[in-house]
Amino acid sequence: MKKVCENWEKVLLTTTCGPEYFEEFEAKAKQASAEIFRVKTPVEAKEIITNLIKFTNAKKVVSVDNVLQQASGVNEELQAMGIELYTSQNDIAEHAETADIGISGVEFGIAETGSVCQDAYAIESRLVSMLPPVHIAFMPSSRIVPGVEQAFDVFSQVFQRGYLSLITGPSRTADIERVLTIGVHGPSRFIVIAVDEPVSGGVA
Amino acid sequence: MESSNRNIQQEIEEKLKDEVLRGALGRFAEAYPVSRLKAYENVEDIEALRDQVKQTKMDTVARIEEVADQFVAEAEKRGAKVFRAADGPALKKYLLDLCREKGVKRIVKSKSMASEEIHLNKDLIDAGLRVRETDLGEWIIAIAGHKPSHMVMPAIHLNRYQVAGYFSKELKTDIPPDIPLMVQVARKNLRQEFLQADMGISGANFGVAENGAVGLVTNEGNGRLTTSLPPIHVVIIGYEKLIPTLKDAVPILRTLPRNATCQLMTSYMSMICGPTPVMVKKDGQWTEQEKELHIILFDNGRLRAAHDEKFKEIYQCVRCASCLNVCPVYALVGGHVYGHIYAGGIGAILTAFLNSMGDFEKINELCIGCRRCTEVCPGKINIPGLIEELRIRNAKENGLPFAMKNIFEIVGNRKVFHTLLRLAKVGQMPFQTGRLIRHLPLFLAGLAKDRSLPAIAPTPLRDTIDKVAKNPQNPTKKIAFFSGCSLDFVYPETGEAVVKVLNDLNMSVVFPQDQSCCGKPVIGFGDIETTRKMAKANIAAFEAVNPDIILAACPTCAEMWKETYPEILHEDPEWNARAKKIAAKVREFTSFVAEEYEKAGRLGEANAGAKKVTYHDSCHMRRVLGIFKEPRKLLRSTSDYELVEMKDCDKCCGMSGAFGVKHADLSIPILNQKITNIKDSGAEVVAVGCPACMMQIRGGLDKQAPNIKVKHVADILAEELDKKKK
Repeated sequence: MKKVCENWEKVLLTTTCGPEYFEEFEAKAKQASAEIFRVKTPVEAKEIITNLIKFTNAKKVVSVDNVLQQASGVNEELQAMGIELYTSQNDIAEHAETADIGISGVEFGIAETGSVCQDAYAIESRLVSMLPPVHIAFMPSSRIVPGVEQAFDVFSQVFQRGYLSLITGPSRTADIERVLTIGVHGPSRFIVIAVDEPVSGGVA
Repeated sequence: MESSNRNIQQEIEEKLKDEVLRGALGRFAEAYPVSRLKAYENVEDIEALRDQVKQTKMDTVARIEEVADQFVAEAEKRGAKVFRAADGPALKKYLLDLCREKGVKRIVKSKSMASEEIHLNKDLIDAGLRVRETDLGEWIIAIAGHKPSHMVMPAIHLNRYQVAGYFSKELKTDIPPDIPLMVQVARKNLRQEFLQADMGISGANFGVAENGAVGLVTNEGNGRLTTSLPPIHVVIIGYEKLIPTLKDAVPILRTLPRNATCQLMTSYMSMICGPTPVMVKKDGQWTEQEKELHIILFDNGRLRAAHDEKFKEIYQCVRCASCLNVCPVYALVGGHVYGHIYAGGIGAILTAFLNSMGDFEKINELCIGCRRCTEVCPGKINIPGLIEELRIRNAKENGLPFAMKNIFEIVGNRKVFHTLLRLAKVGQMPFQTGRLIRHLPLFLAGLAKDRSLPAIAPTPLRDTIDKVAKNPQNPTKKIAFFSGCSLDFVYPETGEAVVKVLNDLNMSVVFPQDQSCCGKPVIGFGDIETTRKMAKANIAAFEAVNPDIILAACPTCAEMWKETYPEILHEDPEWNARAKKIAAKVREFTSFVAEEYEKAGRLGEANAGAKKVTYHDSCHMRRVLGIFKEPRKLLRSTSDYELVEMKDCDKCCGMSGAFGVKHADLSIPILNQKITNIKDSGAEVVAVGCPACMMQIRGGLDKQAPNIKVKHVADILAEELDKKKK
């Protein structure tokens, strides 16, 4: 899978970054209508996702590869539940439009704005995060930078080619009478699962 | 150009009658300043951040060609095709050729103001292409056949019922006026457009020279889809959006969302560096391809502006539209009156540069120079200053309207002007009721049912001053009093109060008889030549008396002396030096007296008096001279008054020189808001530091709340002195 940076964890070491900013990140992200779940281990994430699938009556999930998700064992669980799960590039291209949920990994969060950074060079990471009505993003809870400034310290070291996105809550508009309405062209729910326990190999 | 036969006056009247528009803009104007400040709560120093935006942009425009060359080289190195379009026709030709060559039939667009600037959609549609705007607001106005009325909220002039009507017509089915439902209808319809499009066209919020990347901020996600799904992506980016390095995007991204939509960050901020992969389905099989990336670097007047000593400042604009959001005139009339697609103060300037000067001429009077926009602009653009500069250039190029020219010839000649003012007091007699009449002879216009205008006083200050001044034997300072027209001919009693306060400070006051109008109304219409003449006459008159201080009790007069005179005389070394030397002696009344009272230990908090007084901040006093604490200190020091603050104390009263008279239809609603705030404050007296505000507010209160009095701070201080003597 194409990435702007092969090792975000390493580059993040060059700037201020750590779990001490998580609380502020969480507050700001929630302010932007993101849903935040902080879990100790990847396995706990599995329960959150399976519950969500039950509540929303989801049938089809598209997902891009990420190590936290693999460690959570959620894919096996989904298959056991009889959910259609697509993870290959071609399958994602075919099914993202009709999927109920998209799952991806994101690289780090920004406390100042409640944003997460997605390395979106691979087209499938954009498809799963834009086309289905729900986007779930895995992120290590320790990877939070304090501000936009630090995020760009990192970008300026790695961004030579590709596509990077900051995602801050779900898609929204206020174009009619300035009434805030969630879910226009992108997802109406944006859910971050922040995992405390480190998993070797980073998110990628 | 399209604006040639516009009747602005009629358009304004129509907009003022549009209750949907007035309601929406009124509510927004109330909510915006509070929400904006809330978004900045976690920014340690807003001013420093704004300075950073300004500095970054200034540094960039100073070497725009170099930055552009680097941007182009880096983008091309990564496989993007870059085309530099000199103007609209060049851009359109490139794009239409590309569409033909690639067999493009369907296009989705995410927001691009640059494409609206040249009405690109029309050409694309005429060429048989299916074009869809995908930003919800842009889509609404596209199907309604409107122009955007706001840069960030293009459909703010429409309500849900109107939108439902347009949706129903477009989709040929009955759509109820339910906002979430309508948003879902848009999602469903436009999703198919995204999936089937052959080309995506986007704008850009910034372009980075060091890596050739472009950045886009959107909330709906249409930007991400437009740049991800179709196999061809065309970016239209103006030169003013270029920045040297990625890190230079930081101050833009920390201000743009906070100012534009009061968000800490928009839902999506995407940066694209070189061609990225795209999935294409061929014969039922999906394959990954490299997307074709075209970048059109758009000039259309921008490079000319970059090399213009004054107008290079427009490069500091990040298109947040906050200048519209705080503009008292925009709040009344909305964006369409501005004619072209860029509305408000910055819109008037961009229109002049990117469209035509002819368009500017029609709308330039819609800036009342209140300077609220300068307090919020992320790039700290002096919007009213640039508009004034455009007026000067417009007058140079096209001359002044005949009637104006005559009036300014009169105003520019002190003797003739003053004779006329003396005659006017006779002419007005039959219409006078008390101290207020409907016509001020100078401006000869503007009847209005909600406001009286003042009469010319029976005897001007210049005739009584020698009797009034009680100059001390051994004065501590010699003050030369520059009264300005209002205190001389309309409110001489306030002029007398000024003299009394100064005498009481053991200072002597002289009144050079050769002084005349400061020139503000003249330069306000762009007549720089007459203004220069007046500046020289005033400078010479005051040099002759060699004072320690030149004192003005009008912020606009003080500003003219301190800032405008040296500036308009900068090409003449001798006069420039004289103007600068004398400018250093000029002081504004309230700040000067507060300083002297402080020295004399007279500013101790007096016991709260029985009468409530509220203070109205004049736009120029507060935002040009930065004076707002001093008059309040003086008011608190009086024994009769208790100072209470009104809501929006520093919001314009709507007078703004000749604007208030010429555009009474706009001035009166702004005044009425002020009157309401004054009434709600519970004050019996409104204190002002500016005679023009005094004229406007007195006129409004006279008609609507005659029990509330308006007084200049000097009047109140003089009262206090009289009371002590008794």
